[in-house]
Amino acid sequence: MTDTAVAGGRVAWRGRLGTETLPAGTSRPAGIARAAGKARDARRTLQLALAGVWLIDGVLQFQPSMFSRAFGRMLAAGAAGNPAVVARPITWNASLVEHHAAALNAVFAAMQVLLGLGIAFRPTVRPALAASIAWAVGVWWFGEGLGGVLTGTASPVTGAPGAAIIYALLAALLWPAGGRGAAAPFPAAQAVGARVARTLWLLLWLSFAWFALQPANRAPQALHETIAAMANGEPGWLAAVDRNAAALLANHGLAASIVLAAAFTLAAAGVFLPRPAARATLVLAMIVAAVIWVTGQAFGMILAGGATDPNSGLLLILLALAYWPARAVTPAFPSSAPAELLGTAAR
Amino acid sequence: MTPAWILDTFASLMLVVAVVSAARVAAARPWRPGSVILDTDIAHLLMAVAMAGMLAVSLRTLPDGAWAAVFCVLTAWFGYRMVRDASVSGVRALAGGHCAPHLVHSAAMLYMFLALAAPAAGAAGMAGMGGSAMQPLQYPTLAFAFGLVLAAFSVQDLDLLSAGRYRLAAAGPALPGAPALAGTGSVAVPRLLRPGTTVGCRIAMGVTMAFMLFVMI
Repeated sequence: MTDTAVAGGRVAWRGRLGTETLPAGTSRPAGIARAAGKARDARRTLQLALAGVWLIDGVLQFQPSMFSRAFGRMLAAGAAGNPAVVARPITWNASLVEHHAAALNAVFAAMQVLLGLGIAFRPTVRPALAASIAWAVGVWWFGEGLGGVLTGTASPVTGAPGAAIIYALLAALLWPAGGRGAAAPFPAAQAVGARVARTLWLLLWLSFAWFALQPANRAPQALHETIAAMANGEPGWLAAVDRNAAALLANHGLAASIVLAAAFTLAAAGVFLPRPAARATLVLAMIVAAVIWVTGQAFGMILAGGATDPNSGLLLILLALAYWPARAVTPAFPSSAPAELLGTAAR
Repeated sequence: MTPAWILDTFASLMLVVAVVSAARVAAARPWRPGSVILDTDIAHLLMAVAMAGMLAVSLRTLPDGAWAAVFCVLTAWFGYRMVRDASVSGVRALAGGHCAPHLVHSAAMLYMFLALAAPAAGAAGMAGMGGSAMQPLQYPTLAFAFGLVLAAFSVQDLDLLSAGRYRLAAAGPALPGAPALAGTGSVAVPRLLRPGTTVGCRIAMGVTMAFMLFVMI
């Protein structure tokens, strides 16, 4: 959207609505919109996607059930199975929220809406991203019980190692660091460098593989029961999808876990491969994330009401896009150009 | 349930949007021959008044059916304009043109009123939202889809607004009543008439609408 695009909304009003009048010297709206699209780089687009997810989180936090004592009890459930040192602060926080549900939840909701708007608003993108990292880590501990990674029951299908930590990871990888942008092989490498970004991706996806093979997740009926439980309260079409997926996996828990672990491992290694192979494995990662998001997470159970976020599937798709290899860039300057000019171009 | 003061806060925000949009329409002096007004301002005014009424019972103006008819017309209008943009500028107009957000806003409003006007919602419709239990919307998948798109448009608008892409240098001469700056050939555009103002209103409405949709799932 651009200035002329907006100005193109001007309508002459002499008896007929709809005679569009473009100001002198302007062209059709979409031509300018195209220029705006070019001006925004992939990292900024991903930042905006992250902002959108935070905004959705914020408005979800305004749901009626969040203002009841049930929200505090939901937080308290995150303590189950965790070591005392992790569980005790969760219980304390849950008790606090339970007793001041309205006030605290209003703060939580407003905070997340502000994080979303702050990331979308260019002058505040850095403080908002920094705050989102701190907030996400807090939510990961106090709201998600560290994603259940210490409980032995964490499953990547249900969101382990926790959606909140992926928010933090995305914010760190999409940090608007200057200097290396043009040379980075993919958007996530611009802030932290390609080696660190690839290592973080590897660790995350290998952790998925490891969680998928845990005894609690490879039991014959484990995946079946997990997915079947997602159908409760969902609209008919989504409940049917969940029920059918659960039926397919009945008594095939071990095989499904092995297939999932293999897919996760392949995706983990993908970012180290040459560009075409990397793209193929990223597509695989996105497909797996989408399937998990729909069947294993039911869009974070938003449609059933009472969800606080869209869970990890959507974030994993965004994360994969952050590793999408950039096109090879033709140097804008001849190799004999002065170094300071090349440096300027890189910035 | 969501506390009434939160609903009232959003309703107040919508009243501000309505006042600003009405002021923009008035500033265009539609009673004068040759005057120009923004269809988007009309749409914003109507949406803001409707949403304020949905959020606070005391601000209710028209019956749900009447609002559904209004937003049906607006949806058709912006749909027509988007098709026209697309025929001139190609499919990019669908995502980048200015009509797409308004089309989604209008369609989302239409959906909300239709989903509430169903028999299950009862005669009070969403007017009961502020004072008693909130009515869940029918077809929550649509609410989810609209909420996602509205959030996307809101962050995109905020990004472009903060990038300074809504300055009005080229469009200045078309504005009614804007005084020309001596020797510059451009005009001093009052803040109220700047495109950024209407985009700010649209962001406020997008966030509020997403809030309503998700809260009523």
